[in-house]
Amino acid sequence: MYVPESTLIDTQEGIQCKVYASSHPKEGVIVKPKYIPVDLLELKELKKRYILEKCMHRFNLFNSREIVNNNLNQLKEKYPYFYHEDTNHKNWFLIVPKEKIKKQYDSQEGLKQLMKVPEKDLDPYLKATRGIIEIMLSSGVPSNDLGISHSTLLGNYTLGKSDIDILVFGKENGWCVLKHMEKVKHPLLKWKTEEEWAKYYQDRIVSSYFSKEEYVFNMVRKRDDGFFDGNVFSIFIVEKENETWYDWDEKHEPLATVKIQAEVEDDSHAHIRPGYYGIKNVKVLEGYKNIPIKRIVVWSRPFVLQAKKGEEIEAVGLLEHVKSKEGEFYQIVIGYFDTYTTKRGDKEYLKARVR
Amino acid sequence: MIHFFESSIITTKDGLHCQVYGNSHPTNSILVKPKYIPTDKIESPILPYRFISGKKMNRLNLWKDKEGLKVYIEQFKQAYPEYVYQSEIHDKERLFFSIPIEQIERIYFPKRGLKELMKMPKESLDKHLLLVYQLIEFFKGGGLTVEDMGVTYSTLLGNYFEVSDINIVVYGKEKYWKLMKFLEVSQHPLLKWKTEEEWLRLYKERNRANIFEKELFLERMKKKKSEGFFGNSLFVVFCAENEDELWFKWGEEEYRALGSAIVRGKVKDNISSVVRPGCYELESSVVVKGKQVNISKIVFYSRDYAMLAYPKETIEASGILEEVKPKKGKEYYRLVVGYLDAYLDERREKEYIKLI
Repeated sequence: MYVPESTLIDTQEGIQCKVYASSHPKEGVIVKPKYIPVDLLELKELKKRYILEKCMHRFNLFNSREIVNNNLNQLKEKYPYFYHEDTNHKNWFLIVPKEKIKKQYDSQEGLKQLMKVPEKDLDPYLKATRGIIEIMLSSGVPSNDLGISHSTLLGNYTLGKSDIDILVFGKENGWCVLKHMEKVKHPLLKWKTEEEWAKYYQDRIVSSYFSKEEYVFNMVRKRDDGFFDGNVFSIFIVEKENETWYDWDEKHEPLATVKIQAEVEDDSHAHIRPGYYGIKNVKVLEGYKNIPIKRIVVWSRPFVLQAKKGEEIEAVGLLEHVKSKEGEFYQIVIGYFDTYTTKRGDKEYLKARVR
Repeated sequence: MIHFFESSIITTKDGLHCQVYGNSHPTNSILVKPKYIPTDKIESPILPYRFISGKKMNRLNLWKDKEGLKVYIEQFKQAYPEYVYQSEIHDKERLFFSIPIEQIERIYFPKRGLKELMKMPKESLDKHLLLVYQLIEFFKGGGLTVEDMGVTYSTLLGNYFEVSDINIVVYGKEKYWKLMKFLEVSQHPLLKWKTEEEWLRLYKERNRANIFEKELFLERMKKKKSEGFFGNSLFVVFCAENEDELWFKWGEEEYRALGSAIVRGKVKDNISSVVRPGCYELESSVVVKGKQVNISKIVFYSRDYAMLAYPKETIEASGILEEVKPKKGKEYYRLVVGYLDAYLDERREKEYIKLI
C-alpha cells in the first residue's frame, strides 16, 4: 500500500499523525502520532500545544524509556489499532488502518495552491516558504513534484519559530534538489557552519558515540536542513508510488545488536525514510560472528544522508536475517520503533569516518 | 427554528470557512457569512487572498469594489447554489448564506475552544495565547466565568500571528452588559482603549464619515468598551444570545419590504443592540422619508451600530422599511439596515443608523 512519507493524516478521533514511510503493510499506514488531544489521553511529560480549538499533547518519543513506555501503553490500551505486531518483522510498528483515517492532507495540492497566492498577500513565513521553493525549482525539478507539509500546509505555524517543511517527490528529483542545494547561492539562504554545529554538539551533548569532530563532519555537509530568511527549513525526499523499495512481505529474523565497520557501496536510497545504505567489506566488530551484511536500513531521520558512496562507516544496529523474493541476506536496521522503548535505542548510531 | 451560537466557525466539505451569522436559524440550515472561499471554482482579484488550510482562498470583504463584488457574488451563486438561502419569510431579493447540515465538515465552537485553551499550562502558551489567557482572567474579574465566554476566528483556528486580533465571545446579553459595565470602570496594566486618532482612522473607513458627525462619533465610540487593546493586540468582544433570550425567532414572523425609508425615533430599549442581528426598540418614531407608518424597531446586521444609542436617546436610520406579520400577535413595522444584499447596490452607502 502506498501513502507518501511525511503526509499528515487525522484519525477519526482527532489524533494528528505523520506518515512515516511510503510503502505500508496491508494492515495500515505506518505513522508517528504528532498531536493527541488531551481529552483523549493523559500522557506524561509531553509539551502541550493549542491547535484547532484543542489542547493537544505534542507526542514525542524522545523521552526517557519509562515515560515513552507509559505513553505508548496508554495509546495502545485505548486505541489498540495503533499497535501493529508485524509477524514478518517479529517487531511492532505504529499504524493507522485505512478505515480509521478521517482526513489525509494533500501536500502537493497545498504547494500548488500556495504558489498561486499573490506575493503581496503572503506573510513573511509564507514568503520565505515561497523563496525556498523557488530555489528548489531552479534545480529543474517540476513544481508538481514538490509539496508542503506540517504547519506550513495546515497554516498553524508561528512566525519566526516554525520550520518550513518541503517535500520532494521522486528519488531522482530528490538527488537533483540536494545536489543543487550544495552549490546554489542566495543572500537569504544559510547553512549551519562548522562552528555552529560544534556549538550545537557542545550545548546538546548530541551523542556519546560521536566525537565533536565526527559530528561536525557528518552534519555540516548535509543539505536537507538549512535557514531561509531566518526560518529553519527541512527537505524531505519522498518516493513516488512506482519506486518504493521496502517490501513488507520479506521475513525478518532479529539476531543481535551488532557493531560493524564497512564501506558504502550504494547510497542511492540514503535520502529517504526508510532508506538504506548498500555496504561491502563488512567487518563485524561486536555482537555476532563475522558474516556478509548486505545493507544498513535506517528509519530515523538523523541517519538519512549520513554517508556517501565509497566512505568508511561505523554503525550499531539490529542485525537481521532476511528472506526475500530475491534470496536470503543479512542487514542491519537502525531506528525501528522499539528502539524508543528498549536499551538498544541508546546504542544505535551510524557515522561516516572522518577523512 | 434552531438556535446556534453566532461567531462559531464552520468549515464545509468543499473547503469554505464561514462564520455563523446570528443566533436564530431556519431548520436544517445555519445562516453564515462566508469568510474564506477557495479559489478553485471562483476567484476575484478585488478580494484579498490568504493561504489557509492548504488552500488559496479569497477573503470575502463586503467593502471592496462594488461592481467587482457584484460579479463575484453572482459567480458564488452559480458555483455554490447550496449555500445561498432563499428565505421563505423574506422577499426574494434578500440575500442570505447558509450551510445545509449535511455540508458541514467541522464546527469550531468558541466555548469549547476557550475551555481547552484555559486548560493549557501557561508555560506552553505562545505570546498571543498568553494574552488571550490573561484577558480572560481579567474578564473573570467582571463576574464572568470561563463557561460564559468563548474565543473565535484566528485564535480558535490556530492561524493567528503574534499581534493578531483577539476575538472573544460572551454568551448571554445580560453577561455581556455586565462585562461592558465592568470595563467602563476597570483598569489593567495591559489594557488600553483606542485613542481619538485610532477611532478617527476607523471613522474614515466604510462610509462612516458620511454617516456620523465626527464629534458625536468620537464621543460614542469612546463609550463603547467592546473593543480595545490588550498588550499590543486589538481585542473585540462579541455577544451571542442564549436560546432563552432570543429577541426574534426565525420563522415566527414574515417580512414584506415597503421600500427605502429614513426614520427618526426615540430608543425605548437597547438591550439587544449588542447582538447580530441587533435591535433598537423605539418608543416613538417619525418617518422622515418613505411610507408614513409607526416604526417599532430598528434592526441591523452590522456590528458598527451595536451599543450606539441608549434609552431616551434619538436615533435616525436609513434602510429598508418592512411590514412584519407575526404568527401570533399584531402586525407592526420595522426598519432594517445592512442586509447582505445592501452591499451590492447604492444602499451600501445610503444605509445607516446615527445618533441625533
